[in-house]
Amino acid sequence: MALLDIKNLTLEISGSTGWMKALDKVNLRIEEGEIRALVGESGSGKSLIVRAIVGAIPDNWRITADRLTWRGRDLLTISRSERRKIMRSEIAVIFQNPVSSLDPSATLGEQLMESIPRQIVADTWFWQRRKKRLQIAIKLLHKVGIKDHQKYLHAYPHQIADDIAQKFLIACALVSSPQLLIADDPTRGMEITTKIQVLKLLSQLNKTRNLSILFVSHDLLAISSMANKMTVLYCGQTVEDGKMVQLRKRPLHPYTKALLDSAPSFRKDLPPKSPLTTLDGTIPTLQHLPIGCRLGPRCPRAQKECVKVPELRHVQDHFYSCHFPLIREKE
Amino acid sequence: MMLTQIIRKFNLLILTLFVLSILSFLLVYLFPGDPLVNLTGLENLSPEAHQKLAEIHGFDHSYFYQYWLYLTNLLEGEWGFSFSSGNPLWREIMQTLPASMELSAYALLFSLLIGVPFGFIAGFQHYKLSDYSLLTASVVGYSIPVFWLSLILILVFSLQLGWFPLSGRLSLLYDIPHQTGFIFIDIFLSDVEFKNDAAKSAVQHLILPTLSLTIVTASIIFRLTRRSVIDVMSSQYIQTAYTRGLSGLQVVMRHGVRNALLPIIPLFGMQFAVLLTNAMIVEVIFSWPGIGNWLIQAIFQRDYPAIRAGMLAVSTLVIILTVCTDLLANLINPALSGDRRAQI
Ligand SMILES: Nc1ncnc2c1ncn2[C@@H]1O[C@H](COP(=O)(O)OP(=O)(O)OP(=O)(O)O)[C@@H](O)[C@H]1O
Ligand code: SF4
Ligand SMILES: [Mg+2]
Repeated sequence: MALLDIKNLTLEISGSTGWMKALDKVNLRIEEGEIRALVGESGSGKSLIVRAIVGAIPDNWRITADRLTWRGRDLLTISRSERRKIMRSEIAVIFQNPVSSLDPSATLGEQLMESIPRQIVADTWFWQRRKKRLQIAIKLLHKVGIKDHQKYLHAYPHQIADDIAQKFLIACALVSSPQLLIADDPTRGMEITTKIQVLKLLSQLNKTRNLSILFVSHDLLAISSMANKMTVLYCGQTVEDGKMVQLRKRPLHPYTKALLDSAPSFRKDLPPKSPLTTLDGTIPTLQHLPIGCRLGPRCPRAQKECVKVPELRHVQDHFYSCHFPLIREKE
Repeated sequence: MMLTQIIRKFNLLILTLFVLSILSFLLVYLFPGDPLVNLTGLENLSPEAHQKLAEIHGFDHSYFYQYWLYLTNLLEGEWGFSFSSGNPLWREIMQTLPASMELSAYALLFSLLIGVPFGFIAGFQHYKLSDYSLLTASVVGYSIPVFWLSLILILVFSLQLGWFPLSGRLSLLYDIPHQTGFIFIDIFLSDVEFKNDAAKSAVQHLILPTLSLTIVTASIIFRLTRRSVIDVMSSQYIQTAYTRGLSGLQVVMRHGVRNALLPIIPLFGMQFAVLLTNAMIVEVIFSWPGIGNWLIQAIFQRDYPAIRAGMLAVSTLVIILTVCTDLLANLINPALSGDRRAQI
């Protein structure tokens, strides 16, 4: 059974022009022990998927899905406290903007120590618990690569650099030994050395603790070094989904191809100094979504049929939704 | 860091008070009539006495010198005399200002006791019926004119029901000597026989004016708190705190309450200024012997020295209180105190 299984997730936001489908029939599946990458341009709705999974969605948005289950339990129908319990012990999440994920008026130490569940310190007397918590906190900080714990435990969020905040949130996420870690853009704006550190840490956790990871990122290089599977999102629609190696070798969807082509190091056949082949134009806003395939206006292969929404099709376990996929080229 | 904060605020305070003293000095010249009379409050002077006063106050020197003398006099408590009563203004102000402060302080206290808890309730019940009902009630409370409310309260509770006295601060039966100007302290310090009865009478006199002031201010504080709670509870760190595994109560107590209160504490301080203005109106209606009532009488009687001194006293008080709450808010807010974005 998959850990997380999402089928046809649709999220509608009410705006001045009525309901806008910010996510349209999104599919996503995470198996035990795998690292799945979720990629797409800025504004394609990656963070919205993350928020839909963890339930951090405002009450006035409309969310529907054929399936949104965690280990077989329907996340949309279980009670709020049940859901919180799952979030507490089984799913950990690192939101996109690390500094705004931290309470500005509490020190990092307080926030890390209060995340440590009571059962972990239950076998000690209550006057020893603070000390025990502190020990655990320091150990966690060392694990994520923060060596100078004295300096940071008493610091407030506005006093620390973004990459420290990011590592700190990873430490918070690891406290409860979750089965799934959702990391939304965890390497944004990091220097290359810290980035490698964080990526290494995540892969290591995946191997040693069998931690599944949903890795949301723009950074194709980072993704290809880590992920087993990849889901490509465009404008709130999943356009392609499959094994990382397969997708890299032979993308079926024009958007995936453009995305891969925009990262030069992905193409070995690239002649030197050739212009980058990326798509024209920019991602449409939610108020001006094209009908049918949302890539239509920017797609080099678009034809008349594309005003109808393409069905989800698959070649073995490689899913795509496009009327004119790139397989036909070969024929 | 803390010290620089204090010094910075203190500089601001001194500077504002300085500007204020200049403005009040200008009033001496701007009010109609003889500037010397406006300054001292002494009327019908003989030519010799006039000459002598002009010398004392530097009227044969430059304006700067006059201002300098004015400032030293202010600091020494020589604020001139009232036209109407002929008493020293400093003494009159020291008798009336505490009464106003007392009234405003109780009103602020009750407004906080009512506004803040209901603000939290409404903020947590956002978009629910209880939120909308409280919000509606606050709009009503907010838009009722203070003087109208006071009159209605008098009509119902004093004239119809006879529960509370109509006006004044204390029943005339009790003669409490003026010491601090704060009625309960004065009653306590005095050696009259019926201290308890006097205090009871003081409470009874206090209820209606306090109530009139509280309704408006509590509505404002309610709205500030509610907004702040809604903002904080929808912020990302609260969402994250839930996903970090804290229970609902823990999130609210550890992260919600503090962050909701921190930004609005300086706003509470500013309410005191509004409150003092409203208190002046209420004082007139309830014949409360406070600075507002006194100032209005001064305006009616064109008592220019008293107007000048009264305005100076009230604005000084407001400024000191505003700066102090601002400073307090900065000191208790870790995100504001200390160097911003001093990354370690
Ligand atoms: N609170 C909101 N209200 C209205 N629209 C929103 C809100 N949050 C996001 N959106 C819209 O939803 C779309 C997807 O946003 P999202 O933040 O998920 O993008 P993203 O893929 O995470 O981008 P990035 O890579 O920059 O993080 C955007 O068009 C955005 O304008
Ligand atoms: S369905 Fe049409 S428009 Fe959409 S990606 Fe395929 S070819 Fe392009
Ligand atoms: Mg995002």
